[in-house]
Amino acid sequence: MEITRNRIWLHSKNLEKQGRAAKIEVPLFFHSTTPSPLWETSEIQADLGLNRRRRGSGLGEMSDLDRQIEQLKKCEPLKESEVKALCLKAMEILVEESNVQRVDAPVTICGDIHGQFYDMKELFKVGGDCPKTNYLFLGDFVDRGFYSVETFLLLLALKVRYPDRITLIRGNHESRQITQVYGFYDECLRKYGSVNVWRYCTDIFDYLSLSALIENKIFSVHGGLSPAITTLDQIRTIDRKQEVPHDGAMCDLLWSDPEDIVDGWGLSPRGAGFLFGGSVVSTFNHANNIDYICRAHQLVMEGYKWMFNNQIVTVWSAPNYCYRCGNVAAILELDENLNKQFRVFDAAPQESRGTPAKKPAPDYFL
Amino acid sequence: MEVEVDEKILKAAGAELLTDGRRGLRLHGWEIESRKRSILSSSSLQEWEEKLQTSHLPEMIFGESCLVLKHIGSGTKIHFNAFDALAGWKKEGLPPVEVPAAAKWKFRSKPSQQVILDYDYTFTTPYFGSEVTEIDPDKHGSGEVSEISSGLHWEDTEEKLDLVALALKEPILFYDEVVLYEDELADNGVSLLSVKVRVMPSYWFLLLQFWLRVDGVLMRLRDTRMHCVFDKNADPVIIRERCWRESTFQALSAKGYPTDSASYADPSIISQRLPVIMHKTEKLRISSNL
Repeated sequence: MEITRNRIWLHSKNLEKQGRAAKIEVPLFFHSTTPSPLWETSEIQADLGLNRRRRGSGLGEMSDLDRQIEQLKKCEPLKESEVKALCLKAMEILVEESNVQRVDAPVTICGDIHGQFYDMKELFKVGGDCPKTNYLFLGDFVDRGFYSVETFLLLLALKVRYPDRITLIRGNHESRQITQVYGFYDECLRKYGSVNVWRYCTDIFDYLSLSALIENKIFSVHGGLSPAITTLDQIRTIDRKQEVPHDGAMCDLLWSDPEDIVDGWGLSPRGAGFLFGGSVVSTFNHANNIDYICRAHQLVMEGYKWMFNNQIVTVWSAPNYCYRCGNVAAILELDENLNKQFRVFDAAPQESRGTPAKKPAPDYFL
Repeated sequence: MEVEVDEKILKAAGAELLTDGRRGLRLHGWEIESRKRSILSSSSLQEWEEKLQTSHLPEMIFGESCLVLKHIGSGTKIHFNAFDALAGWKKEGLPPVEVPAAAKWKFRSKPSQQVILDYDYTFTTPYFGSEVTEIDPDKHGSGEVSEISSGLHWEDTEEKLDLVALALKEPILFYDEVVLYEDELADNGVSLLSVKVRVMPSYWFLLLQFWLRVDGVLMRLRDTRMHCVFDKNADPVIIRERCWRESTFQALSAKGYPTDSASYADPSIISQRLPVIMHKTEKLRISSNL
C-alpha cells in the first residue's frame, strides 16, 4: 500500500487523468488544506494497523463505539472529532469490499431511507435489531429528511461495529453534488456550524460498494442496469472510489430505472440514468445466473413493486416520504433458503418523534 | 385545523369552523375547505394514466387533495385539484427540456437501442383553477346537486391586486398549503404544483403556484393569485392575476446571478430575478341570484 503524504482525495476527473492507479489512497479529507496531525501519514498507517489488530477485541474501543451507537439511536449526533474517527475506521472496512459485495442469507433488504431517522427506527422494530438481523441497505441514506446526519452515522457505526452483519451500498444521493442541493450539506452546516462533517461523510461515500450479490442468486443495486454492463465481472472492474460520475456504468447503476413501456434501453429526455425494459432484465439475469434483481430508487406507494414477471423488484423503505406522501414502506426479508417475505410498515407515530409535526406556518404570502 | 385560532377572533369575524374533521371555515357566505390526502396508489395511478392517456405522471400525485372555495348563495365553486392540472399539462404538451447530460447520453448509446421518451417531463401546466356552478337541490326539487360547468364570466380588467390591503396584518383565520403534485425530476430539479390560501376577517387570498427548476437549464414560475374582499352590501368580486416567469440558467449567469441550484431552492425569494413572460388580470363578479 502506497500512501502519499498530504494527498487530498481527488475529484473523479483528476483520478482519471492519473490513469486510475490501483493504489489505495488515504483521504485527507476533501478540500482540507491544513490537515490535522491525526491525518498525517505515519499516524494514519499506525492507526490503520492498530485498528486492524484491535477490531473485535479492543474492549475500550468497542465500548466507545457501543456508546456512540446508543447515542445515535437516541438521534443525538456525534461530535465532529468522533465522526472523523468513525469515518476513518469505516473507510478501512469499506475499502476491502468488492463492487459486487457478497452477502449471505438470511438477510433483510432495505431501500431508500432519506434521513427519516424515526422511520428507520420503525424499520428496525419491524425487521429486528442489528446484529440479530443481517441487513443490506441499498443506499440513499441522506437528503430530504430532517436527520440525514444521525441516520447515516448510525448505519455507519453499525457497519464498523458489525461489519459482517450489515452491508451498505451507494445510492445516487451519496454524492457531493446531490447532497449540496437536497439537504445533507445544509443539515451538516446547521448542526455542526461547519461543513467538515459533510466532507468526512461524502469522502466515505466514495468507498461504499456499488452492488451486492446474495448467495449468488439475487443481485442488489440502488438504481438498476447499464448498457455498458452485461456481466457482474464488468462491475467488479469499476474503479468506484470517486464522486459519482455524470455518465458511464457506475452512474447508471445508481441512477437508472426499469420502465414498462420500453423494451430494450430507453433514454429519458431529462437524461437521468437509462430506462431499461423487461428483455434487458431477462438477458442480464440469464447471463449472470441470478433469480432476480432487487433495487430501490423509486417511490412506491405500496412499499414494493415487482416488474417484468418477477424478474426485478423495487423496495422502498421511507414511509410517508418527505413527511407528506402518506405511502407505506417495505423491507424484504430473505431466510436462509432465500424464501421471501415483505414486511410493510408505516411511519413512526407522531408522539415518538423528537420534534413536533411539520405544520405549515401561516404566513402572509403575497 | 393546523393553526389554533382564538375562538373569539373567529366569532368576531363571523366565522365558524367546519366540523366532522373537515378543515376550513364558513364566513360571509363562503365555505372554504382544504383536503390533504396521500399520494395516489399504484392502481389509481394506472387509472389516471388511462384517463389522461399518458404513461408518465409525476412521482407524487396528491390526487385526493384539493382546495375548494364555494360561494354558498350562488353555488359558485372555485377549486383546485391535480387531475385538472395534469389534463392542462397534457393539453399544452410542451416539447421536452433537455438537460446538458442528455446530449452526452444520446451520443453514448447505440441509436438502435434507444427510445427517447418525447414528453414534457417537467409537467408544466397552464392550470389556473377549476370552476363549477352547483345548483342547490332544494331550489330545483331534484334532490341532487347538479353541476353546470363554468358558466362564469371572467373579464379582463385594468385593476390590480390591492397589495396594500393584502399586506395588512389582520389575524389569519384559516391558512393552509396543499400540494397537488410534485416530481423530483429524478434528482435533476423540482416540479411542484401547490396552492396556498389565507382567510382574514376582511378577505380571502390564494396563490396557486407551479414551480419548476431543471438544474442547470431553466426555471419556470406560473403563479395564479385570487383575491376576494368581503362586502356585505355587494355581490362578491374576485380579482385574478396570472403571472408567468421564466429564465434559463444561462440568462441568469449573463446577468451576474448565481447559477448553482442551491441558490434557487425557494421560488418566493428569487422570483424577481425571473423575467415576466405573461401577465393577465381578470375580474369575476358573482351574482347571488342565479
